[in-house]
Amino acid sequence: MEVVIASSPVDAGIGCWDLHSGAEQLRYRSCTSTPHGLACVGQRFLVSSQLRDSSSSSGTILYWSWNKPQVEVKSFPAEPIHPLISNSDGTYIIGGGSSGAIYFWEVASGRLLKRWHAHYRAATCLFLSDDESLLVSGAEDGCIRVWSLFMVFDDIGMEMAKHPYEYSFSEHTLRVTDVVSGYGGCNAIIVSASEDRTCKVWSLSRGKLLRSIDFPSIIDAVALDPGEHVFYAGARDGKIYIAALNAESTPSNIYGKHIIGSLSDNSKGVTCLAFSMDGILLVSGSEDGTIRVWDAKTRNIVRIFRLAKGPINNVLVVRRPLYSNFQTSANSHASLSRRHVPLLPPPLSKYVNSTDEIVDSGAITVPQTPSSDIMDAPYLSSHVLTKQISELQQQSSAATGMEVDRLKLDCKRSLEMVQKWKEMFADLHKFCVDELLGNDQTQTQ
Amino acid sequence: MARSKPSSSKKQPKRGVDFKKIKRKIGRKLPPPKNATNTEIKSKAIILPEQSVASERAGLAVSKKGLTLKELLQQTSHHNAKVRRDALTGIRDLVLKYPAELTLHKLAIIEKLRERISDEDKVVRETLYQLLKLVIFPALKKDVPGSLISLMMAYIFNGMTHLATDIRLMAFKFFDLVVQHYPSSFFMYAEKVLQNYEDILRKNHIYLQDRSKLKNALVGLVRCLSLLPCNRRTVDPSYGKNTETQGSLHAYELEVPKEHTDFSSIIKRLEDILPILVNCFQDFIPLVHPMSSLDAQSFDCMLYLLRSIDLSVKFFLYGIDKHQTDFGVTKPTYNEKDMPVWGEIATPVFLRKFLEVFPLNQLHNTSGKDEDKFFILNIEITEIFLHSNEWIFTSAILMERFLEFIENLLSGKIRFNSRSGKALQEKHLTSLLPFIPRLVSLVANTWKSRLLQAFTMAFKDCKPESTLNLAFLSAIEEMLLPSKRQGILLLDASEPEILDHQITWIRELPVLLVRLGDTLSSLSKVILHLLLRLGQYAPMNSSLAWEYDIMQHTLGEFYSMCLDDGSILYGPFMKLPKDCQELSVCCLYYFSSLDSLLLRSLVYCCLCDNLEPSVLFRIIDVLHSAYKIGHLQLVDLISFFVTLVARWKVLPGRLYTHVENAKKISNRETFKAITGAVCSCLRQMGDDALIFQIVQRVILDEIPLNPPIDNLCGMLRLLVILDSRPTKLSEQSIIILSNSISEYLIDAASYIPENGDEVTDSNQISICQYYLVPCFFLFDRSDKLLNLVLDLMGSSIGEDNSSLACNHDTQHTLDLSSRIVAVVSILLYMHQDIKIRRRLSSCKGEITRILQKMRLQSSNEMGNTLEERHKIQFSFDRLKIAAGQLNCWDADELKIISLFE
Repeated sequence: MEVVIASSPVDAGIGCWDLHSGAEQLRYRSCTSTPHGLACVGQRFLVSSQLRDSSSSSGTILYWSWNKPQVEVKSFPAEPIHPLISNSDGTYIIGGGSSGAIYFWEVASGRLLKRWHAHYRAATCLFLSDDESLLVSGAEDGCIRVWSLFMVFDDIGMEMAKHPYEYSFSEHTLRVTDVVSGYGGCNAIIVSASEDRTCKVWSLSRGKLLRSIDFPSIIDAVALDPGEHVFYAGARDGKIYIAALNAESTPSNIYGKHIIGSLSDNSKGVTCLAFSMDGILLVSGSEDGTIRVWDAKTRNIVRIFRLAKGPINNVLVVRRPLYSNFQTSANSHASLSRRHVPLLPPPLSKYVNSTDEIVDSGAITVPQTPSSDIMDAPYLSSHVLTKQISELQQQSSAATGMEVDRLKLDCKRSLEMVQKWKEMFADLHKFCVDELLGNDQTQTQ
Repeated sequence: MARSKPSSSKKQPKRGVDFKKIKRKIGRKLPPPKNATNTEIKSKAIILPEQSVASERAGLAVSKKGLTLKELLQQTSHHNAKVRRDALTGIRDLVLKYPAELTLHKLAIIEKLRERISDEDKVVRETLYQLLKLVIFPALKKDVPGSLISLMMAYIFNGMTHLATDIRLMAFKFFDLVVQHYPSSFFMYAEKVLQNYEDILRKNHIYLQDRSKLKNALVGLVRCLSLLPCNRRTVDPSYGKNTETQGSLHAYELEVPKEHTDFSSIIKRLEDILPILVNCFQDFIPLVHPMSSLDAQSFDCMLYLLRSIDLSVKFFLYGIDKHQTDFGVTKPTYNEKDMPVWGEIATPVFLRKFLEVFPLNQLHNTSGKDEDKFFILNIEITEIFLHSNEWIFTSAILMERFLEFIENLLSGKIRFNSRSGKALQEKHLTSLLPFIPRLVSLVANTWKSRLLQAFTMAFKDCKPESTLNLAFLSAIEEMLLPSKRQGILLLDASEPEILDHQITWIRELPVLLVRLGDTLSSLSKVILHLLLRLGQYAPMNSSLAWEYDIMQHTLGEFYSMCLDDGSILYGPFMKLPKDCQELSVCCLYYFSSLDSLLLRSLVYCCLCDNLEPSVLFRIIDVLHSAYKIGHLQLVDLISFFVTLVARWKVLPGRLYTHVENAKKISNRETFKAITGAVCSCLRQMGDDALIFQIVQRVILDEIPLNPPIDNLCGMLRLLVILDSRPTKLSEQSIIILSNSISEYLIDAASYIPENGDEVTDSNQISICQYYLVPCFFLFDRSDKLLNLVLDLMGSSIGEDNSSLACNHDTQHTLDLSSRIVAVVSILLYMHQDIKIRRRLSSCKGEITRILQKMRLQSSNEMGNTLEERHKIQFSFDRLKIAAGQLNCWDADELKIISLFE
């Protein structure tokens, strides 16, 4: 089931609608999300970072499972987290802090694997490239940085390199509001929007600015067309501008160079955009609390959902597993067992743990997919590996012992041989000498 | 002859007289025979179909001596030197006179002229040089003929290996000329040319005894070497890169890398040349003797030698850098085995030896001129030292000497004596300044502070219009901010002394900006960029960020200043180009708490007519964003917005359709857009009720100042957008508002179309709606306001003209009849609106009173002309009908009214 989920900075909960039928699903309560602060972790549960008044130093991240409206798990990271994303498997959660640091958690254990200083000002948006090897982060100081996740965990490599990031783009003069990346891993393009009223297109392979497009208003959200012909830019004046990526645009545009059109519904500012899985429906969230579903091809509104009076700042389109079925059938026996085994992983930890603890647990913890509930125990490959290694070591020691014995035997045998040969030589020598002497003696005689 | 005569005379008598002998005299012309045909042709002119090219030259391009190009070219290979020279000058004349000849026959000309490159005669060569330099190359500049160059090069190389020294040297000069005009040709022949240079320099004792000759050769070498790529430490950071040229994003790039990639041969040659150059230079050292003064020729030679050394060192460095960056970022940087190619092993030894000579005699005081010369040489050596610093391990003593020199240079202890010295000094300082940041970060602490001290002093003393400023600014940027490439801070800001210097620089920036004015917008842009970067990158809560915040006090002057007498002095902001304005506006975003004083000076700028609307909208955007991240107080922002709406000057103008008023239309449209932008900002701020309270308070302060109708309309719109139904306006504010609204409505009534039935200008209707709609919203939300307003309108009709005379406001000078008409048209307009009609029906008392007043006025004969009375009567009737439609009059009241009739 493909659902639209949306959240708001005022407490209106997380709304959830079936994209194709329009039926509203469960509404998850008590959520005041930050911009870009809503994510779905591997289709298993929802996670959102919370807005908090500046008085408290720590931030809040909440978990909701699909079938319960209440908050299930609360975590309190060391500082307020603004943007939050998860990789597609739901193994990791990455969050950007208000100090400019980026946090990297493992979901299954809740461990904070890494925290690094990424920006000089608060991070505003994060994006993972489609192969999930590169992380793109934008910040309030207008800086966009591209991180290789391999490098981030390679401490030695980090020290050797001139800078920890792959690229740092600082052409934006004001806050970066959104960043998206196209297909193609390290060869993709990224599109960034900023409060300086421009969107900029960058090349990840060459690390340079390809195009800068001026808009009539501030762009708060960007969505890339799946074919990467155009991108959609949600502006504060309520329009969604369509900007060309490929073609040379005709000069007679009313909005400006490279902008080929707009979607408009006389709404207040557009704050967030998302594409449906099939790439046809474009979902936009607006300041006026409504979520509009557009057909990107015909440019018409297909559906309107209403979340709250207040603004919306996050819209996601995710695939939700069909729980309703599962719930009714398995309710009787599963509810009991679930009470013992918590469905959701433990809260995220505040600090990077000491190293000895890491050694203890496995290297990678694969998350449970909802379908494979049977496999309750996580598969810890490293244990098996260490066991094998130790076995191998033991085996090898036994083998060498045998070898030594065999060699000793060999040695002994050869020594005996040597002895034998020596004796033979001595006999021969004696015989020869005797022979010679005997001859002499006979001659002399 | 004498003998033949008698024989003939002997013969004659023998013969009979058969034929009569005709005796003729020799030399006498025969008379024509009688039957002869007259072959004589007589004509006035002979017209031939074509002329011979060779002989006739009347229509041809000829030189002063009447020779054609072909003849001249032939003469260039004449055995007589004088003829050859004359031919060359002839070609020169000819080409100057007929430039077309050159382009037509360039190949032929060059082909012939090149033979003269190794001419034995000095004068001929010199003439050829001048000819090529002044005439031929400049004329052929447009179409670079590669074949021409290769034609010449063959002979030039020939000349370079000629036995005669003069010819050799001249060949270098010719090559220099070619390179001057076609720089790319150097790379094609670099290896060969450098080898020739090497040869000639190696034997300089033999060939180059004459300093001027050596100098000539060196000039060419310097020019060639300066073409080599090096790490350009550009003083002006390339901020505004042009990216608009990119057509499509995913297209394959057709451009091939422009850089010449095969440098290995050049490197090898340079490696050979460098020691020779150093040797050459050391030969000159004895000249720098205390007693003898340095002659100009040797000085020039030394200078050029140093330049060539400098350039080749730079080239090596470039190679090393390139080598490193080629292999990605992860590679460990200093791995010596990887790059023996770039001449690292051989050169340092020579250089170290060479640098030992460094302080070229400072001890004795020679004449001023000489001191300058040594000074220049020293600077050159220092430059080489700084370039090579990165890969040569120098001894501490030498380092000290250099550092001391640099310090003295910065602090101005060493000065030029000559008059042109000032410019020269600036030029040399600009070349040294880019090294300062790196130097400071590397040297020991005592030197660090000394250098910084000198640097700061020099920066402070620098005049705003000086070209040095750019170099200073880029050095400062490097020392203040984490570098772009490496992302690490060069200087440790935690040391108090360094921090002191940094603070001094930061404080100096806004002052410099204000002093610059709009004279050098490029420099202003660089400063603004630096400020922006500082705001972006200064670590949070550090002293640098603190210093950045403090800066806004001085920055206010940059925008505008309110003088004591109330007039406003606009700062450089207003006059700078748009990109600078936008940059400076962006800087505002990064102040952690925006000062209200700065906001005030900003609002003065916004209210100025000259400010472009797009910049104004940008300011609104940025301030709103700053508020969102908590850099700006809510009250400050709202008062900024309200002031903007209340004071912005809308040019008066009613006739919208006229062409000459196009500007006025745009002006009003701009104001509408401003109001719209402010409204959307206010709505996004959050708690409407709270914001409404603040906005209401600020607006009520503004309203008594009697703002123009447009501004009032804008303010009413702000209120309406934030208000809800029923109104949140307080009692007191309703009273104040009703006062101004009643007058506002009467003014706005003039925009109401005369006759509702007629199809009037749609433009006018929209304007009318624009003015009236906010009032209607207010009326709809508050009955009390409507009552009060109607009351006031009624009383304004009733008042005497005389009592109004004292009030000089424009609103009141409307004469009574038109006021009545206005009131009626407003009421009728309100009547058309269904919502308001419902409201109106509840205030019949007020309407009755108005009707009564009108009745009174129409009957009042004094002071009213007949026409006016008719007008009033007409309006009265219209209103009465409308009132009747309201269905609210009972029989008694209607009777009262009809009684008046």
